[in-house]
Parts: sequence; structure tokens; C-alpha cells
Amino acid sequence: MCLGIPMQVISIDGYNARCEAKGVSRDVSLFLLQGDEVHVGDHVMVHVGYAIQTMTEQEARSTWELLDEMLAAEGNDA
Amino acid sequence: MLEAKDWLARIHALNIDRPLRIMNVCGGHERSISMAGLRTALPEQVQLIAGPGCPVCVCPEEDVYQAMQLAMHEKVILVAFGDMLRVPVNVPKGEVRSLEQAKAAGADVRPIASPREAVQIAQQNPDRQVVFFAAGFETTMAPVAAMLLEGVPDNLSLLLSGRLTWPAVAMLLESGEAGFNALVAPGHVATVMGPEEWGFVVEKHHMPTAVAGFTPVSLLAAMYSVLRQSLEDKCFLDNCYPELVKPGGNPVARKHLAQAFEVTDSNWRGIGIIPASGYALAPAYAAHDARLRFPSYNDAERKRAGQMPPGCDCARVVLGRINPDQCKLYGTACTPKYPVGPCMVSDEGACRIWWSTGIRAAEHA
Repeated sequence: MCLGIPMQVISIDGYNARCEAKGVSRDVSLFLLQGDEVHVGDHVMVHVGYAIQTMTEQEARSTWELLDEMLAAEGNDA
Repeated sequence: MLEAKDWLARIHALNIDRPLRIMNVCGGHERSISMAGLRTALPEQVQLIAGPGCPVCVCPEEDVYQAMQLAMHEKVILVAFGDMLRVPVNVPKGEVRSLEQAKAAGADVRPIASPREAVQIAQQNPDRQVVFFAAGFETTMAPVAAMLLEGVPDNLSLLLSGRLTWPAVAMLLESGEAGFNALVAPGHVATVMGPEEWGFVVEKHHMPTAVAGFTPVSLLAAMYSVLRQSLEDKCFLDNCYPELVKPGGNPVARKHLAQAFEVTDSNWRGIGIIPASGYALAPAYAAHDARLRFPSYNDAERKRAGQMPPGCDCARVVLGRINPDQCKLYGTACTPKYPVGPCMVSDEGACRIWWSTGIRAAEHA
């Protein structure tokens, strides 16, 4: 979905980054952020496995509050 | 920093003396608006309209049909974003009517969450043809472009159904009955493409516009902005998601999109052809075009029962002409468990979103 998931970069190897959110880690492509300097510890907005923009920790946190609410609301779907 | 309740107080302090309809064009926005209950929290004069914000909903029926045929008759591995698997096509009762049903009947259909998985599946199955059926707006198509530019195996081809968001809004505005007075523009499309793309709404159509993120705070800030613009009769393009939306967007992503794809006139399910509204593979990537690799399935002659299933009002829901619960089938014949139209299937479809936030069938007179 278009919402995107904020994740924190935990390691970088070329255009591949290992990113983490809520204890879950995933491989994320940095191919769309070639012009930006992305460092370990930075937060990125991830959409379908690709980081589309860097973001602040505070913005990452407020997006996660929203995602947590949405996850909690699932199951209302029957 | 202002909280949601502060923005609501500011909105309620405005002297809104006429009905104002604010359209969003993003399933993520609609989900956030519905979940936070913003419709009921706003003054009565303000109506929030869900517009064309669901790429799965407007993916042409013939493209879904073609993907199913490739999976069933060419024995390819058909990969697609999960949402796509349950979208029904219009076939006689008893026939296979979705990719999910094709899978149940033995076809190799696999849901993926990232274009990178399509590449991995192709690498792991060098003796098989893998077709990636890719629907999505700019935010999703930029990663698909990146996948192509990074290099894909020969046995991977794309059945592309990518669309651009702004041309559908332009079409509505030029139709003479837009049905809305202000626009909340999609935050992650603007993250990729830049907010400037939405300038035409202000300049050409003199309509208040604000780019919003996905939290209630960002959405309410955008609504306050467009309401104030309306009341003061001074419209401009506001950016209420500056944390991610930068001038010019993501220049690398835009460059990749321009290299991998050409923009073409494209069909939107139930709506028709919208000029310069879709992505097609650029000539350099023609070797990976599933439509060229499997030409006998470009079945223009196929007799279709219609764009949307009989009785389904998805097209008018997508265009914001009616609310989901105004469709006769909503919650009666059409539910997430037994969806009739694509808007009840996709997580970004307005019907599915309204249903998942607890709205059930309206009284039908």
C-alpha cells in the first residue's frame, strides 16, 4: 500500500541496506536514494522494498503510531 | 507541535458558510481519514470525498484476464502484488475469475511484496518464464523502474499496468463536473514526483490544493489549508508533508522512471482511456515486455461482459461520484469475503476501507 513503512538502517552494502522496524529486519534497496548520503542509524521511508526518501526519527515515530493503530484495527474486516 | 485536536479546533473556528467538498486521491489517505473518523469530526459543511486513489481498482479487466491466461496456459510463474490476486474478471459463472482461483486450479501464481522478489524468483527458476504483473501508481512504479535499471534475468518479463495519478484528476477537472472544490494531493506520489506536478490544479483550475502525509495531523493541516484558501479566495499549492516531500521530489526516482518507461494513453477500468496516464516499457526494455513475449494473449477480440461486473458501481466510487455505501451491492452481494468489484478487494479500495472501519450497507430506498 502507498502508506510506506519507516525503517532504520542497521547496515549498508552498496545499494543494499539491512533495515529494521519493530524488531523485524528486511533487505531494502537504496537504489532510489543514490544522490543522498544514507548512513547507518538513519531512518528511511520504505515502499515495496525500496527506500524512497530519508526521514527524521520523529517523523518515523509518528508514522509508526498510525501504522500501529491500523494493525490494531485489522480483524474488523470479517 | 500542533496535535490533531488543535487542527480540528482551528478548522471549527473557521466561518465555513458554504458546502465544501475536499477530494483525496490516495488509498492511504482514505484509510487514515476513515480510521481516525475525520468525516464526523469535521464541520457539517465539509465533505471528504474518496477519489481515484486505488491502482488495483482501475487496472483494466483485460490485463487481469491476460495475467490469468498466461498463468493457466503458458505455465509461467505469475507474480503480482498480493492485492491483485483476488480482483475478479467478468466471465460466465463457474469459470475461473481471479488469479487466486487460477492458483487454486493449479496455476503457479505467487504474491510478492517487492519487485526484488520477482527478480529472485526468476533467478531461482532459470528454466521457467516468470511474468511480473505490475499495477501501481508512481510510488510503486519508481521501484519497478529501479528493478529494471539494476538488471533483470532474461526469463523475467513485465505485464505492466502502471498509472499516473494526476491525469485522472485533470480529467475530472476538465469534465465540467469535478464534484469537488479542493484537493488533498497524495504524499508519497509527491515524495517521488515532487509537489509541482499538482500546480495545474491551482493555476489552471483555481482550486485550493495541499499535499498531505498520512497521519491525522498532516491530513488535518492540509484540510485546514484548503478550507482557509477557499474562504479567503486565495489558492496556492501548500505542502503539509515537508518532511518527505521536497521540491522536485526524488530526482533519482524520476530519472529512473523516465529511463524505464514511456507515458502513454491508457485505459482505466470502468472509466475509459485517459490521455498520457499510463506507463509502458521504454523501447530499450521491450525484450522484457510480456505483451511482446506472449503476443497471442493480447486478445483485443475477446468479448467482454463489460468493464465492471454487472451492478457494480466501482467506477463511480473511484471517481468520487458516489460514496461506497451508495452502491447497491455494498455489504449485500459484495463484501471483502466475496468481493464483486475491485474496490472491495484492494486495501486501497474505498469500499474495502469503509467496510474495514465498520461502515455497513446503507438503507437503499
